[in-house]
Amino acid sequence: METTNKLGRILLVEDDPKDVELTLTALEEYNLANEVIVARDGEEALDYLYCRGEYKTRSSDNPAVMLLDLKLPKVDGLEVLKQIKSDGTLRMIPVVVLTSSREEKDMVASYKLGVNAYVVKPVDFHEFVNAIKELGVFWAVINQPPPGSVRN
Amino acid sequence: MDRSTLHSRIAQSPILRYGLAVGASTIALGVALLLGLFHFRNVADPLFLIAIAITVWFAGTGPAILAVIFSGLADTYFFIEPLYSFYITREDVPHFVIFLLFASLLTGFADVRRRIEQELLQARDHLQSEVLERTQQASLLNLTHDSIFVRDMDFVISYWNLGAQELYGWAAEDVIGKHSQQLLQTVFPAPLEDIDAELLKTGRWEGELQRTTARGIPVAVAARWSLRRDEHARPVAILETSNDITERKRREQEIQGLNLELAKRSSELEAINKELEAFAYSVSHDLRAPLRHIAGFTELLQKKVSSVVDEKSKRYITMILDSAKRMGNLIDDLLAFSRIGRAETQKTLVSLTQLVREVLAEVRQDTEGRNISWKIGALPALYGDRSMLRLALVNLVSNAIKFTHTRPLAEIEIGCADGNTDDVVVFVRDNGVGFDMKYVHKLFGVFQRLHQSDEFEGTGIGLATVQRIIHRHGGKVWAEGVVDGGATFYFSAPKPQG
Repeated sequence: METTNKLGRILLVEDDPKDVELTLTALEEYNLANEVIVARDGEEALDYLYCRGEYKTRSSDNPAVMLLDLKLPKVDGLEVLKQIKSDGTLRMIPVVVLTSSREEKDMVASYKLGVNAYVVKPVDFHEFVNAIKELGVFWAVINQPPPGSVRN
Repeated sequence: MDRSTLHSRIAQSPILRYGLAVGASTIALGVALLLGLFHFRNVADPLFLIAIAITVWFAGTGPAILAVIFSGLADTYFFIEPLYSFYITREDVPHFVIFLLFASLLTGFADVRRRIEQELLQARDHLQSEVLERTQQASLLNLTHDSIFVRDMDFVISYWNLGAQELYGWAAEDVIGKHSQQLLQTVFPAPLEDIDAELLKTGRWEGELQRTTARGIPVAVAARWSLRRDEHARPVAILETSNDITERKRREQEIQGLNLELAKRSSELEAINKELEAFAYSVSHDLRAPLRHIAGFTELLQKKVSSVVDEKSKRYITMILDSAKRMGNLIDDLLAFSRIGRAETQKTLVSLTQLVREVLAEVRQDTEGRNISWKIGALPALYGDRSMLRLALVNLVSNAIKFTHTRPLAEIEIGCADGNTDDVVVFVRDNGVGFDMKYVHKLFGVFQRLHQSDEFEGTGIGLATVQRIIHRHGGKVWAEGVVDGGATFYFSAPKPQG
């Protein structure tokens, strides 16, 4: 599967290193992992998006999609989502909530804040890999990202 | 017959009154003439005056004037010179005039006296009737259940009805003239000056008082005060009506206490509910993550080592994966179960026929390769939460499919049984492995299973979920079964109103 020349950059916001590894493994399996930025908490994610802190020197374009966990240290996922969707330049970044929570209130809160998709992480590994693959393929390959985002 | 009735009888008849005038004067004339025969002198005038006096006394002014005229004429004719003529000599004029004047004076005085007497009598009658009326009114006040007493501005009691006696324990004769404050040990709800100010301003005051009865028992009374003023508008007395509210007060306090307790309990429950919610949320989020890691990395391990490890190791890996999957299902079912308890029900009219159709479509994938004969009867509509009722039906139908899988031809029937007038009863019947009725009480408990898990897989939460859903709809669940002879699960729910 050769899609490297048309891949969008993925910003993965996930605090659990095991989940990060599983997600990256799943993306690797389908060669979708060449441009994945991992932020380990909400603050780091915002630092990346606003090009500050350790991301001061990065190129200023936006990721093609952001995979966002809800339960995060420091600044939680809903707050990050709220921040992004209320910012004129960041609003266009597609955000997919990728969480363990099946709770209705999380879903409702996310959609109210304008999330583009809400995915519950399946316990079953096959399903998990499938979900990550489909997300990666759809958002990083099939979907036309808004202008100003990175496409390698 | 007393004097007054004689008076009134004479007064009522003009004939009697004027007859008396003529009669008395005639008798006086007769007696005077008779005494003249015996040479008594100057008796006529006093006799006529007596006749006039009697007339005016008994018959009033009119007949008295007649008597004066009659007596005057008789005196002139029979006793004043020249005799037997109405002519009066000059010398006799003063005598005659004085006689007339005296007679008139007598008439006048007697008339005034009569009038005064009549007025006095009337006043007496009036007073008598007033006294009667007042007495009746006072005894009316005794009829009321309320306590009524009157005191002056110095708290001296002047009236005390039976109600007051019943309430406070003292009889009227014991308290009249006593100081009401000292007697009743009243505790006011506000400073007395404020109460007095309101009373003087509006003439009324209402409030709740604490008092002590003759037996030393405290009572709470609702009192209403009315101010009485004299003709110069000076406040003179206060009438107090009151009734016993001790029992009401006690109940009010009791209710207040219960309300406080209830509020406390409810906030405690709310806190517990919040905690449970946080717990469920935490389970949902945090328990699932390590499970996903176990499953994920085991699978990765399986892929990596499958070519080099022996069969036993491969089986171990498969068992780890199965267990992880099973635990995932358990968590999902438990969360669904706890969500039923917490979620708000959104009730609408739900067509069970429609719902069953949807449920059958949903469970179709579990019936692939199976030979099932479905029998769906006429089903009513229910007032309830659609998604919850759907979950209940999915659980019941899945159970029926699951426990008939050993049958070459499974028969599953869904229908409506005869309930009472208020409830709808729906059943799901199968010809599966059934159960022993002696374990029926365990059927609807969480994690209760009547079959070994390798025989029929499941988490043991399905029927508990059904029960919880039906209970939240105000209905009941029950079951009938025979070992190896099938099972029937029933649930009832209130019929939709109107």
